[in-house]
Amino acid sequence: MNRVRNFKLFLWALLGLGAAVGTARFMFGLGATTNLSDAVPWGLWIGFDVMSGVALAAGGFVLTATVYIFRLERFHGIVRAAVLTAFLGYVAVAVGLLFDLGLPWNIWHMIIFWNPHSPLFEVGWCVMLYLTVLLLEFFPVPAESFSGLAKVRNFLVKLRLPLVIAGISLSTLHQSSLGSLFLIMPYHVHPLWYSPILPVIFFLSAIALGLMMVTFEGLISSYLYRRAPETDILAKLGAAARWVLLLYLGVRFTDLAARGQLGHLADGGWQVTLFWMEIALSAAIPAALLFIPRVRHSLAGLWIVAPMAVTGIVFNRINVGGLVHQQRGETLYLPAWTEIAISAAVVAAAALAFLYFVEKFHVWERRPQDPEAAPAALPRFDVASFASLGSPLVRSRTLYSLAFVFAAAFGFSLLSGEALSSRGVDPAPVEEARGGDTLWIDGNLDGFGTAFAHRRHVERLGGDSTSCALCHHLNVPRDRQSGCYSCHRDMYSVSDAFGHDRHASPAGAALGCFDCHAPDAVKSAQSAKECADCHKDLIPAGAVIEVEDYQAAGYTEAMHQVCLGCHQQQAEAVEKPDLPRCGTCHREHKLLVDDPLLAQRYQRLESRGVIVPEVLEEHFQGIRLAALPQEPVTQIDEP
Amino acid sequence: MQAWIEFGQGPLFRFAFVLMALGLARIFVLTLVNVAEAYRRNPDKIINYREVFNKTVAWFIPAGRLWRKRPVYSLVSFLFHAGLILVPLFLAAHVSLWRQSTGFGWFSLPQGLADALTLIALAGALILFLMRAFYAPARALSRRQDYAWPLLLAVPFLTGYLMVNVSVSASGYQWMMLLHLYSAALIMILIPFTKIAHCILAPLSQVVTAVSWKFPAGAGDRVLETLGLEDRPTWVDKPRLGIEREMTRELPEVKPAEKEAKAS
Repeated sequence: MNRVRNFKLFLWALLGLGAAVGTARFMFGLGATTNLSDAVPWGLWIGFDVMSGVALAAGGFVLTATVYIFRLERFHGIVRAAVLTAFLGYVAVAVGLLFDLGLPWNIWHMIIFWNPHSPLFEVGWCVMLYLTVLLLEFFPVPAESFSGLAKVRNFLVKLRLPLVIAGISLSTLHQSSLGSLFLIMPYHVHPLWYSPILPVIFFLSAIALGLMMVTFEGLISSYLYRRAPETDILAKLGAAARWVLLLYLGVRFTDLAARGQLGHLADGGWQVTLFWMEIALSAAIPAALLFIPRVRHSLAGLWIVAPMAVTGIVFNRINVGGLVHQQRGETLYLPAWTEIAISAAVVAAAALAFLYFVEKFHVWERRPQDPEAAPAALPRFDVASFASLGSPLVRSRTLYSLAFVFAAAFGFSLLSGEALSSRGVDPAPVEEARGGDTLWIDGNLDGFGTAFAHRRHVERLGGDSTSCALCHHLNVPRDRQSGCYSCHRDMYSVSDAFGHDRHASPAGAALGCFDCHAPDAVKSAQSAKECADCHKDLIPAGAVIEVEDYQAAGYTEAMHQVCLGCHQQQAEAVEKPDLPRCGTCHREHKLLVDDPLLAQRYQRLESRGVIVPEVLEEHFQGIRLAALPQEPVTQIDEP
Repeated sequence: MQAWIEFGQGPLFRFAFVLMALGLARIFVLTLVNVAEAYRRNPDKIINYREVFNKTVAWFIPAGRLWRKRPVYSLVSFLFHAGLILVPLFLAAHVSLWRQSTGFGWFSLPQGLADALTLIALAGALILFLMRAFYAPARALSRRQDYAWPLLLAVPFLTGYLMVNVSVSASGYQWMMLLHLYSAALIMILIPFTKIAHCILAPLSQVVTAVSWKFPAGAGDRVLETLGLEDRPTWVDKPRLGIEREMTRELPEVKPAEKEAKAS
C-alpha cells in the first residue's frame, strides 16, 4: 500500500506549501504574491482553477446523463466516482476563486445584487446551483454508512432524476457561458482562439474532457490501489470521446475557415506554435489514437491518450483564459511560483478528499482495502532502533502531518521579504511646484494638478511669518519655508524625511552611532536623540502640523491633508460649503489637457478618468502651462 | 559573510520559526488525538480528571515536590527556564525586529534585566550540565542529547550577550551574529522533534500518564508488579471495568414465597 501512502504524502506536502503561500496571499494581497497586473488581471488561477476546474468536472453531468437518462447501465460502476469528482472539482473551483478575488468576502454579492447582463453572473449562479445539485446527488453515498440518514437518503434517491436533469441543464448553461465571458474581448483574445461560437467550443471540449478525465481518474486510482481497471468500460468511454473530439476539431477549423482566420496559421510566432501544440494534444493525437481499437482497449494506450487529452484541453482553457491575450507592449505574463503552488494545493486538497471518500465509503463497487484501517496488522518496528512505528493509522497521521509542516516551513522560507512587500506602486518622484504668486502643483507632471493661489492664501491667513508655519510645518536644516517636495518626495509612497544614511555617511554628516544612539540601549528611533537636540530651528514657531516620526506621507496624501483639513474647517466658518469639494481646487485640468503641446502626452493618461465636477472655464480662458507663473489667478477663491 | 548573515536572518529564520510553530502545534494535536484514541480503545474509562488537573498545575509551580526533594536543582532549573523563555521573547532588540518586519510588537524587558536574565540562563545551563555530568543518578539516566542540550542552548545566549555588552571588532561581531542566528535556527528546528517539545506538551503530561497507565488495560499495575512496588500508592484510580462491575454486582435475592407466587 506504499503507493497510496507516498501519493498522499506528496499531496500533503503540496498542501503545506499552499498553506504558506495562501497565508501570504491573504495577508499581503494579490500584488505581492502573483505576477498579475492591470494589463493581465486574469492568470493561472482563472485559467486553471476556475475554467479548467469546471471543465474537468464535466464528467459528472456527462456520466449521469449516460446512466440515468440514456439508461446505459454498463457505465453504472463509475458514475459515483464521476459525481464525486465533479462535486470536489466544483468545491475546488469555489475555493480557488476565493484566492483570485480581490475582495473574496464579497462573493455572496451576486446572490443579492443581480446583473443579468453579465455572463459571469450566469456562471456564478449556475455553479452555485450545480454545486448544490452535486451535493444532493452525491450525499446518498456517504449516507449509506449512517443508518440515521436512511430517510434522507431514500428521499434523495427518489429525487435523483430531477436532480440529474437540473445538473445537465445547469452544466450546459455555465460550461458554455465560461466561453461567453470572452466574447466581450474580440480584439484582446488572439484570433486563432477568439470566436463568436466560443460557448459552443467550450461546451464540446468540456464533454470530451469530462470523458477523458473520468478515464484518467479510473487509471490513476486503479494504479494507486492496485485494482484491476475497468478496461472495457474505459474503452467505451474512449470510443465515445473520439467522436466528440473529432467534432470539436471539425468545429474549431470550420470556425477558423468561416471567419477567414486560417491565414494566421502561416503567421509564425509563438502563438501559432502554441495553437498547434494545443490542437495536437487536446484533440488531434488523442482522437487519432482512440480510433485504433488496440489503443482503446489497452491499458498503456489509455495511459497515453487520457493524460494527453486532459493536458491539452486544460491548456486550451489557460490559453483562452489569459495566455493568448494580446499583451499591448506589456511583458509576457507567466505565472509566479506562488500561483502554481496555490493551484497545486487546491488540486491536492481535492485529491485527498477524493481518496478519503473512496476509502471510507462505497464509491466504487468494491471498496479498496483501507491502508490505514488494518487493526489486525502486526506492529512494525524500525529495523535500526527497534522502535515501534505505531499502528498504520498513527504512522500515516504522523507522516502526513510531518510532510505538511515541513512543506509549509519551506514555503515560508521561499517567500522572500521582497515578495511579501507588494510591488504595488511604482516609484513616482515628485517635482517642485512651479510659479510665484500662483503655484502650479503637479508633483508627477502628468497635467492633473492644481493652480494654487499662494499669495492669496498668505493674505487670507494673515500675511505675516506666522501664517507660513500653518502649512510649512518643517524646515530642511538651514532653510526657511521649505517646499513640500523636499520631504514628501514620492507621489504615493511614504518617504524618509530623516535620512539615516545621510547622517551616518562620511559624505554627509559623518556622525558615529553613539553620537545619537545611547550606547547601552538597542539602536532604534526611540532610543536615539531628538532631531531638535541638534537642529534647533527645524520646526518653525507656530507650526500646527505635528511631525511624529519623520516618515513623510506620499505627496498626494500630504497635499490633501494640509489643504482639505483647513478647507473643511473654513467651510463651516465662512459658510462656503463647496470649499472642501474636489472641484474647488481641481478645476483646470480640462483646459490644460486641451493644450496642443501637451495633448499627445495626455492621450495615454485618458483612461485615468479624472472627474472634474465644475469646470469654471470663464476664469481660465487662455491660461496655458507656460503662462501660469506670470499670470496670477486672483479670482480663484471667489465663488 | 554578510550574505550568510542575511540568509540566517531571512529564509533560514522563517523556515526555522515556522517549522517550530507548526511543528509544536502538530505534536500537541497528535498527542491529544493519540491519547483520545487510546482512551477510546480502552474499556477502563475511569480517569480522575480533577486529580489530573491538580497534578498538572502542581508541576507548574516550582515550590512543589521537587523543591522539597532537590531544592538546588529545582531553583536552578526554574531560573534557567525563566531566562530561557523571557529573554528571546521579550528582549527589546528582538521585539523591535518583530515590529519592523511584521508591524506587531509587544512589551519588552529593560536591557539591564535582560542582561541579568541572560547571565542567569548561562549560569543555569552550565550548572545543569555539570550536575548531569557529575551526579551519578542523573548520569545513569542521561542520553547523549541530554548533555548536548544545555550547551547548545547556551550558544545563542552567550553570543547575544557578548554582542550587546562587549565591544569587538567588526568581523568578530559578524562571526558572533552568524553563530547567534544559526544556533538559534538549529534550536528552533530541533525543538518540535526532541525533548524540548515539552515546552508545549507540559500541560498534557499528566493526562497522558493517566490514560497510558491504563492502556492496555492494567498496564500500569503490571509495571508496578514487575518492579516489585505493588504496595506503592498511585494517584490513578484502580481499574473498575464495566464488565467486572456487572459480574460482581449482587443479584437481588428472590424470596421463595414470591417464587411460588410467580409460578402459580
